[in-house]
Amino acid sequence: MRDLYQRLAVSPEANDQEINQAVASCLHSALRQDAEAVFAVAERRETYDTLHDTVSNIGKLRARLGLSHGAHWQGDVANDFSLPPDHAISRHDELVDRVSHAVSLYNRWRRLRGPWLLVAVFAAGGGIGIALGLALCLGLLPM
Amino acid sequence: MSIARFSPFELLLLKSRSQVDTATLLLLAWVLVHRQHVSEGQRRRRLAQVTAQFRHGHELSPVMSIAHSQDLQAIQLAAEVVRKECGTERSLSVIHQAITVATDDGELSLANHYILRFLADLLSVTPVTLNTLFKEITGTSLATPEDPSRDAYWQTHDPDYHARKAREAEAAEQQHQQANARAEQQQRKKQQRHQQKQQKQQEKQQRQEQARQAREQEQQRQREQTRRQEQERQRQQQQREQHRSRQQEHRNRQQRPSSPPPDRTTRALSVLGLTPGATRIEVRHAYRRMAQLHHPDRFYSESEHQVALASARFQRIKNAYDYLMQTY
Repeated sequence: MRDLYQRLAVSPEANDQEINQAVASCLHSALRQDAEAVFAVAERRETYDTLHDTVSNIGKLRARLGLSHGAHWQGDVANDFSLPPDHAISRHDELVDRVSHAVSLYNRWRRLRGPWLLVAVFAAGGGIGIALGLALCLGLLPM
Repeated sequence: MSIARFSPFELLLLKSRSQVDTATLLLLAWVLVHRQHVSEGQRRRRLAQVTAQFRHGHELSPVMSIAHSQDLQAIQLAAEVVRKECGTERSLSVIHQAITVATDDGELSLANHYILRFLADLLSVTPVTLNTLFKEITGTSLATPEDPSRDAYWQTHDPDYHARKAREAEAAEQQHQQANARAEQQQRKKQQRHQQKQQKQQEKQQRQEQARQAREQEQQRQREQTRRQEQERQRQQQQREQHRSRQQEHRNRQQRPSSPPPDRTTRALSVLGLTPGATRIEVRHAYRRMAQLHHPDRFYSESEHQVALASARFQRIKNAYDYLMQTY
C-alpha cells in the first residue's frame, strides 16, 4: 500500500481533472501506470480512498502513541503513512485532568453553599430592578 | 485547563464498571466495522457473543456508533487505556478476540490487516506470536496484505474491466481493418479506370501519329527541290548559330565557380549557428557551446519526451560537426 496522492503531489480531495493532470505529468512510468489503473475507474478510486483513510488514520494513531517504528509497521506503508511524532498530551491523562477539574469545581460549589448564594444574587438583582422602576414611575429621575 | 465537554466515549468510560473492557469493546467494534459483507445486525450479535464475559455494564450500541463515526480521539483513548491496563495474558486474549472478530468465516479485509497489526504493535505482540495465533485460529498463515495502489492488484481483482477493454480494442481494430479494406478496393477501382483511360488515349495518339507521318512524307517530297536551292544559305546560318552557342556555354562555365559552396557544408554550418566562411576554430567553439546547451543529460529531470527531443538535436549537431571536421 502506497500513498499515491503523496507520490503524485496532489491532495486526496483533488477532482478527477487535477488528478489526471498530475498522472500525465508524472515522470516515473511504473508509478504512472499504477496511478492510471487506480484512478481511471471511479469505483477503484473509492475503494482505494476508503483504505487510504483507514491507513492514514492508523498512521496518525501510531504517531500519537509512539508506535511509528513498530515491528508490524514496515515497508511502503511505513514510508508513506508515518507522520512525525506528535507531542500532544495523552488522551487518558487529559481525561483524568478533566475529571479532577470537574470534581474540584463541584467541591467548591458545595463548600460555598452554591444554591443559597444563587438565591441571594437573584434577590439582590430583583430589589435593584424594583427600586429603579419605582424611581422612574415617580419621575424622580430626569429622563 | 480545558473546559471542553466530555465526549460520548469519555462519558461511557467514566460510567463503565471496567474501563479496560469498554476500551477493548471499542477496539473490537472498530475491527468489526472494517469487515466487509456483514450486516449491521450480524456485527452487533458477533460483538455481543465475543464480549459475553466482559464486565462493562453498559449497552453496545453507543460503542458501535462511536466506531462507525471513526472517532480518532476515542480510539486513541481506548488504545491508551488498553495498553496501560493489559498484561501479557490479557493482551494475547485481546488479539485473539480481534482475530476471531475479523475473520469469522471470510477473509481478512485489507483495512483489518493494518488494524490487526496496529493492535499487535500496541500490545507488544511480536510478529511471530501474531502469526502462530492467526494460524491457530484460522488455519491459514497471515499473509502480507495486497496492494491496491498497484496495477497488478486490479488485474487480478477486476478482470471484467480488462476483458471489456480488450474486447473494445478488438472491435475498434476490426472496424479499422474494414475501413482500410474498403479504401483499398476504391483505390483499385480508380486505378483500373485510370488505366483504361490511358490505353484509349495511347490508341488515339498512335492513329494520329500514323496520319501525320503519311502527310509529312508527301510534304518532304515537295520540299526536296526547294531545299537544294536553299542548302547553302542554311549551312551558313548553322555555322553562325553554333558559334553563338559555344560563346554562351563559355560564359556559363565562367559564372559557375562564383556560386555558393556545396549545399551540405552550408547546412552543417547553419546547424551550428554559423555563416558560411567560418574558420575551423570557430566551428569547434560553436560545437562545444551547442553541445552543452542541447546535451540530453540537461533534460533528465523534465520528462522522457524532452530527453528524446534533446538527444535528437544533439545527434544532429554532432553529425554536422563530424562532417565539418572531415571536410574543412
